Amino acid sequence: MQPSSSALLALLALPFLGAAFAPLVYRVLGERTAYFAAAVAAASLALVASLFGTQGTVAVPWIPTYGVSLAFYVDGLALLIGTLASGVGVLVFTYSGGYMHGEPGQVKYYATLLAFMGSMLGVAFAADLIALFVFWELTSVSSFLLIGHYQDADASQYAARKSMLITVAGGLFMLVGFLLLHVVATGVPAVDSAFRLAGEGSILANADTMVGALRAQGLFVPVLLLVGVGAATKSAQVPFHIWLPNAMEAPTPVSAFLHSATMVKAGVYLVGRFRPLLLTDEWTLVFGILGLATMTITAILAVAASDIKELLAYSTASHLGLIVAGYGMSGYLGAETGAFHILNHALFKAALFLVAGIVAHEAGTRAIDELGGLASDLPLTAAVTTVAALGMAGVPPFNGFYSKEFLFHAVYYTAEHAVADGGSVLWWLLPAVAVFGSIFTFLYSIRFLMLFFGDKPDALGEVHAPPLAMTVPAVVLGGLALVVGLGGVAGTFGVHFTPLERFVGTVMESSLAHAGEGEHSFSYYLPTEVSPWLIMSAVTIGVGAVAYPFFDGIRDGVRAVRDVDYLRPNWYYDGTVAGLDRSSAIDVIQTGNLRTYALALSLALAALTLGAYAAAGVAVPGLAFAGLGPALVVVLAVAVVGAVAVAAAPSHIAGVLTLSIVGFMVAIFYILGSAPDLALTQLVIETLVLVIFLLVLDKLPAFYGTANRLRAARDAVVAGAVGLTVTVTVLLSTAAGPDDVIAQYFVENGGVPAEHGPIFADAGGGGNIVNVILVDFRAFDTLGEISVVAMAALSVITLIAMRERGEIQ
Amino acid sequence: MTQVILATVLGLLFALGTYLILRRDVVRVVWGVSIIGQAANVYLVTMGGLTGQSPILGHGGEHPVACSVPDAGANCVTDPLVQALVLTAIVIGFGTTAFALVLTYRLYQEHNTLDLTEVTVE
Repeated sequence: MQPSSSALLALLALPFLGAAFAPLVYRVLGERTAYFAAAVAAASLALVASLFGTQGTVAVPWIPTYGVSLAFYVDGLALLIGTLASGVGVLVFTYSGGYMHGEPGQVKYYATLLAFMGSMLGVAFAADLIALFVFWELTSVSSFLLIGHYQDADASQYAARKSMLITVAGGLFMLVGFLLLHVVATGVPAVDSAFRLAGEGSILANADTMVGALRAQGLFVPVLLLVGVGAATKSAQVPFHIWLPNAMEAPTPVSAFLHSATMVKAGVYLVGRFRPLLLTDEWTLVFGILGLATMTITAILAVAASDIKELLAYSTASHLGLIVAGYGMSGYLGAETGAFHILNHALFKAALFLVAGIVAHEAGTRAIDELGGLASDLPLTAAVTTVAALGMAGVPPFNGFYSKEFLFHAVYYTAEHAVADGGSVLWWLLPAVAVFGSIFTFLYSIRFLMLFFGDKPDALGEVHAPPLAMTVPAVVLGGLALVVGLGGVAGTFGVHFTPLERFVGTVMESSLAHAGEGEHSFSYYLPTEVSPWLIMSAVTIGVGAVAYPFFDGIRDGVRAVRDVDYLRPNWYYDGTVAGLDRSSAIDVIQTGNLRTYALALSLALAALTLGAYAAAGVAVPGLAFAGLGPALVVVLAVAVVGAVAVAAAPSHIAGVLTLSIVGFMVAIFYILGSAPDLALTQLVIETLVLVIFLLVLDKLPAFYGTANRLRAARDAVVAGAVGLTVTVTVLLSTAAGPDDVIAQYFVENGGVPAEHGPIFADAGGGGNIVNVILVDFRAFDTLGEISVVAMAALSVITLIAMRERGEIQ
Repeated sequence: MTQVILATVLGLLFALGTYLILRRDVVRVVWGVSIIGQAANVYLVTMGGLTGQSPILGHGGEHPVACSVPDAGANCVTDPLVQALVLTAIVIGFGTTAFALVLTYRLYQEHNTLDLTEVTVE
């Protein structure tokens, strides 16, 4: 069924409108703006829900000349990401109402968060490569703003800059990949619109032809890698994972929303979206290795974490690695893993972040070593944590178990087939690494869970119960995770949770390669027979349980290795950034001194203009003197003398008076040049300016910048260059003239028609074409002009009145 | 027709304006901006032709020719469109000059100096 275009467009516009109105709403509602934002998210969720069951494209032309459109495509994958963005949005906004109580910068916070939600929905539904890129970068920008929420804190600034540098740089790689794809698609006749990613006549709809064309031009691997870099930076894959732990400087609801459930999913979304196009052996190699390496390395780092949010951040990167690895595997199993784990991870990880926020808020610390035995004070939170953390660990029957089983199955299947087809024995490393990484996942999940059990440290003060606005969203997420988990138990007995299974099935279909992955309907249940992948799960849990008592030892070991400089991507990042900082010419270029900028601008202007004339081979025309009356010559000469006097003025008063000479000479020039209206205006304005100058100068001291001959000579050279440029330009432009003159239209149509002439021209006027243009043909210019004057007047009043009221800063 | 004199005059005005903008006294910078603005207006009006009649029609019915039309003849009118644009520009220039002056005034109040080199780096 075709999606309703009005619902889809409303869905994308709504959050941005909400963001625009947030400042107004905040004035009325104050901190309850959280619930306004939650309502916007709920409306978005309803709109997403109305799109369920539909599939197709809605396009609005954007830049038709280049074939770029605001095209949106609805399918399972888009709906999944859209549901997460709006659904988790509702919960996070509600939670913020409790969490952000008394925090600074709430208007900015809610407006940015709403804009982020809109951008994320844009990423999910965009079917045009350029639109996708724009929304993609919008999420990076809003993430930057939200990570830097506490803008005065050094750590926030560092974290925000880091995430911006890494994700935006990755986005640029992706853009290059998109453009290459576009270039290749232009040469494929079956592709109607070369920027269209999904839908009829799009790049994805002609995957086989596209791959052929890409290979023929040798661009397949470059495109694969470029898109891969975009996805890896956004989804914090090794070695770009380093921005994610720092991003935890953001308020916790932001971490739950952007940095676990949605924004970081943009990268895996991209992988899932491009899978039908690019799935080949190279794809499996690149994303299989990337995903499994990330999953393992970041799981190990999570064990070494000392802060609960740091633990969750590494764990997020690890699970994103799992999803990427899933999508990397060929066959429906790979798509199944990716699709199902996106959902499961969003549920349990967002819940855990909300739990982390509650713990930090109520216990006053996030240090793992200082926390313990919280279950007695926070029983409901402890229950949520149990469901979510066991899901994260992959313990049956909780939700994460099923998707992890799919991954084990997929990697085992891939390795088995690769080896059977004569591949290297090294393929068996895939399942081995998957199990190895999962053991660490199990360890840190249990460590997180143990915050709630065992003895309560004496140093930990009283822990209050969290407000309802914070508990309810965590319980909802935990409950949903539990329902998904129990759905598998029911499935074992043949009672399938059909709506969910069908939905995940459609998500999976979005990522299925058309060639040879076959029809498959998704269902999940507890394993009923022993299989290699079940043994893999058993090994994971078994080894994990045996190793857990030695957790502290393992942690210290990991920390020792982690802290070796050469092994830390952060060491390279900090070194590069500091190096750029030192070596760059920032201190020379950005002096904060107006002169420096004016100098550079003037020189660049002169050089570029003169250079362009030279490059175009323009010749200065013969110096035929135009007839210029002696009066005009005298007036202009006086104006120049006046300007020289301004430049040489010994005092402010002398300068202002000579400046007036220039102004009045210009007025006379207008009179002689047959422009009476200009002359009148100029005379009035000149008089006003003189008065204002004198009024202001009365309040200012006499100031004489000590003359520096060298600097004056240098400035004179620059000024001379600008003057020369202008002279040449005037010579060139006055020598030429267009054939088709706009002015003639006004001359012919500005006056009063002959039949009305006697009445209107005599009685009411209308013969002055300049006036007619100002109030009629180009009345909007006049409106703009009046607005500028009004704005200037308002600014003047504000600037002066603010001082008088003593409202400085 | 090549306007040699105007080209020279405008070049000089722009040069003097640029020189003033490069001074360290804020008031002089404002003067520089003002002179450049005036010169730009003069340039625009020049492009509309200086030799024609004022673009004011007498009784209805006559449609003179704009001077910028090729072979317009001696009885042409100057270009009304550039004049309308320049009129707008003059008024806007006034607004910006007034605003710049008040900023200068506030700068002095806040920093107790008019020297731009002293108010730069924090």
